[in-house]
Amino acid sequence: MVLVLDSLTTAAVLFIVSSGLFMIFGVLQIINFAHGAWLGLGAYATVVTTALGVSPWLALPLAFVVGGVLGGLTERLVVRPLYARPLDAILATWGLGIVIGQLITLAFGRDVQMIPVLMTGTVDVLGTAYSAYRLTAIAIALAIGLGFVLALERTRLGLTARAVIMNEALARALGINTARVRLATFMLGSAVAACAGVLLTPLTSVDPNMGVIWLIGCFMLVMVSGSSVRALALACIVFGTAQVAVGTYVSPILGGMTVAVLCALMLRLRPKGFAGV
Amino acid sequence: MREAGRTKLAIAGLRSGYGATDVIAGISLEIPAGEICALMGKNGMGKTTLLKSVMGLLPLREGRVGLDGEDITGWTPARLLARGLGYAPQELPLFQDLTILDNLRLALRDDRALAPALERVFGYFPFLAERLNQKAGTLSGGEQKMLILSRSLMLQPDLLLVDEISEGVQPSVVQRIARALLGECERRGMTVLLVEQNLGFALSVAHRWAVLKLGHIQESGENDAAAHARIMEHLKI
Repeated sequence: MVLVLDSLTTAAVLFIVSSGLFMIFGVLQIINFAHGAWLGLGAYATVVTTALGVSPWLALPLAFVVGGVLGGLTERLVVRPLYARPLDAILATWGLGIVIGQLITLAFGRDVQMIPVLMTGTVDVLGTAYSAYRLTAIAIALAIGLGFVLALERTRLGLTARAVIMNEALARALGINTARVRLATFMLGSAVAACAGVLLTPLTSVDPNMGVIWLIGCFMLVMVSGSSVRALALACIVFGTAQVAVGTYVSPILGGMTVAVLCALMLRLRPKGFAGV
Repeated sequence: MREAGRTKLAIAGLRSGYGATDVIAGISLEIPAGEICALMGKNGMGKTTLLKSVMGLLPLREGRVGLDGEDITGWTPARLLARGLGYAPQELPLFQDLTILDNLRLALRDDRALAPALERVFGYFPFLAERLNQKAGTLSGGEQKMLILSRSLMLQPDLLLVDEISEGVQPSVVQRIARALLGECERRGMTVLLVEQNLGFALSVAHRWAVLKLGHIQESGENDAAAHARIMEHLKI
């Protein structure tokens, strides 16, 4: 039972952490390697709320706003000239991630931060006492996934974003301000990533480079998912389960590498990944 | 509803192209309000490039574009659409994976004016109303062309740029397309710049014509008894 719950919650956490990167990649076809830095920024929003002595949940709106604003600046200043050169965009955002990591170090120091957890206690699931917070992660992942699907398929902005993904030249000819759609997407993706950073704080140590460890897994998950939310959810469940299995039965250290290794293997055998499933 | 004298579209000395080459090498063309002007020419002569240039999708290298006497040179597509320009493109003209309804919705900035706009285009092409949730990519060639034209009519443009709307379409559908174009012209005085290769269709609807050759207007004139022979002169191999 614990294994099942571990698998599900690990999948949920992977989904939450990947969703910001996924949004940006899905619409803009750009891999934002500063994604790890957004996660770190979000986590440090929790450090700020702790220092202010307010509820750690308030770090969520703080991270959302800071992530959105910084995402907007990044799109304008760094990413916008590089849409036609995706490899250069990877380098540029990777560099930006390093800069942000250093700025966090300058502001908060190199040490691991101690912050209060968002939620304590356990819930009884079919006779097993299980972390309430990890269960909440499942609900949050479902909310993000459903919200994303609904936003894309039921709102005007989603329709516009899909039009830009499918055929940008035509979208422009129809008067859609494609530059604004890109800006909005990048801001939203960055904001969601920063919020994911807040949500990570009870599960991982908070230090300036904490995001980098997650970045590779997120990157690989997004690579095997293409632009499909359903494919991302499936990839998270499959590889999250694999990570838990390897971590439990083989070695916790190998478990941490499972997602990246299996995704690489999958891309080798089936370059389209889960896209189209 | 032709109004004598008033010029709708005035293109003067237009030069435009891709990379190092000028595809349009100095074109001047005027269309009176309420008229359909057929722009003929073989493949690769610059017809599509001219429409894209007027529509603000390609940067102009020289020349001016005027609409009702107002200088609209260098305007963005969004501003031109708001000013009453419409465009029915030929290259990748539909969102293949979106439904008919979503393709039509994307012509408007919001859904407030959607119902009456749909009602109007359904009047010309009733099949759209019955298959709103069908993906555009699954429509036949002729149905796709009717959808492209319908989308360009959603905003009731004053001036419509149409790029080879009859290409690969069976005669009965060409007739329905012609009826829609003429209907909008008669009802609201719409002006049309009609890029065509189908001479029969073009002359069945146009008031005037021009032939484009290697980026220049080779000859132009009214659609009179001699028009067919004069255009054929330019189009034959």
